[in-house]
Amino acid sequence: MLVPPHGGRLVDRQFEGREAREIIDEVSECRMLTLNAREKNDLEMIGNGAMSPLEGFMCGRDYRSVVDLMHLASGPVWSLPVVFSVKEGDPEVSPGDHVGLRDPEGNIWGDMRVEEVFEADLENEADRTLGTCDISHPGVAYLRSLSGRYIGGKVRSIRRRETESFPNYRLDPKETRVLFRARGWNTAVAFQTRNPIHRAHEYIQKCAMEIVDGLLLHPLVGETKEGDIPAETRMRCYEEILKDYYPSTRVAMSVFPAAMRYAGPREAVFHALLRKNYGCSHFIVGRDHAGVGDFYGTYDAQLIFDTLDPDQLGIVPLRFEHAFYCRKCGGMATSKTCAHDSSQHVFLAGRKVRAMLREGVMPPPEFTRPEIARILMDEARKGDDR
Amino acid sequence: MKGLVIWIMTEEGSDESVLDRLGAEIGDRGGRVEVFHSQAVESLGMEENHEAKAVACAMLASHGVVVIASGSGNSGIAASEKLEIREVTEKEMRDAEYRTTFMRDLELAGLVPPPRYDVHPDEEKEILKKLQDLGYLDD
Repeated sequence: MLVPPHGGRLVDRQFEGREAREIIDEVSECRMLTLNAREKNDLEMIGNGAMSPLEGFMCGRDYRSVVDLMHLASGPVWSLPVVFSVKEGDPEVSPGDHVGLRDPEGNIWGDMRVEEVFEADLENEADRTLGTCDISHPGVAYLRSLSGRYIGGKVRSIRRRETESFPNYRLDPKETRVLFRARGWNTAVAFQTRNPIHRAHEYIQKCAMEIVDGLLLHPLVGETKEGDIPAETRMRCYEEILKDYYPSTRVAMSVFPAAMRYAGPREAVFHALLRKNYGCSHFIVGRDHAGVGDFYGTYDAQLIFDTLDPDQLGIVPLRFEHAFYCRKCGGMATSKTCAHDSSQHVFLAGRKVRAMLREGVMPPPEFTRPEIARILMDEARKGDDR
Repeated sequence: MKGLVIWIMTEEGSDESVLDRLGAEIGDRGGRVEVFHSQAVESLGMEENHEAKAVACAMLASHGVVVIASGSGNSGIAASEKLEIREVTEKEMRDAEYRTTFMRDLELAGLVPPPRYDVHPDEEKEILKKLQDLGYLDD
């Protein structure tokens, strides 16, 4: 039996076809609010149940409880605010209003029944959820760009399949749950990634696969910061490696349409809870999960799980050390399993790998499989051409 | 699971069908539920007695049961470590939207079990077809 969704049941507030057209008709006479990129991603994930038990953008009670206590006001663990910000130029709204939600291009993506318009304490939000108020942190920069007022209320989201990237890999939580059951999986481990796959990732995924029934490769394809490897490239890498190096019946790949918040430890919990909704019983937490720059300690994203009640969390974090190829061991290892010093380890910093790829130098196969390196070199060349 | 008394404040002359419907819904989810009809008080050899009913409900609930009862006013039951009390009006409970939100709050508080399935069985068939079409499953 699969792990139950967070809060007990999957929220389903996503509509398409005739129902979606009815929503569009309903809101055509309503005031419209503008979604930014993160809010658009969040709306999709509230609608498809990935953010269960959330049924809309948070009101003040939940917002304050999540920021200060890491719990929703109703009780369940929840680590990051999911909020809708008041935008300049948008109409004034009040509790009880029915409003449409559109992107800056005017496409309608859903609606909201406004329950509350409230003041946010952005400094406190940054400090508590990101652990810093430093403007060089992309999450802080994002918060500073907001008005400081949020609108809370239940939403309905519209699915527009024709506009979706990776349509063949878009599985909602209810779909991954059906898939896992159909494959006979009772336990599944999720691997979150916003980076191309190197041997270290492959190693920890396969270690995790030894103790569960299946692996959900779940690359994040929502908004990321400039400089991150594009989702298309990462997906190509995964498609390539899945062909020859993973047993097809024990792995499923699907995209995770969330926006990155770079909130380190808090985001690791957030990512775990969302994967629980996708039916995963385990979640891989590696080094500096969801981190950026030097804002978080290497293992902060693992230690935060010690502060939470495992029963309330409902998904098991699998903590992994930094993995490398050891020449003396003749295989992949971590400091937990290798007796040799770093001179025996093949490890390259990300910056060095990017430089090699740009110069057309193949990284060692102990670090990156040649099939993957070729895709990344191709991408690096395209980047230079751009 | 912590016990719960759902006390429905009724108007004079109303039937107890709302209690039965709520009891059936919680029972379908696998919850341990007892609908405490007014008749039960009489069956216990007591005359219709609001206080006696409330005491009996609280005793049952303190053993982890969800007890549903009704009365013309507040129950007078105090919440404790072993039991929670929710008092609602009959009118509220007859409102489908209110009832959904009410049940959801109880689920989130861990006081009643969630529905037995995460995906409705009818929808599951459609999803299986989609998964086959996308190549996730063999035909």
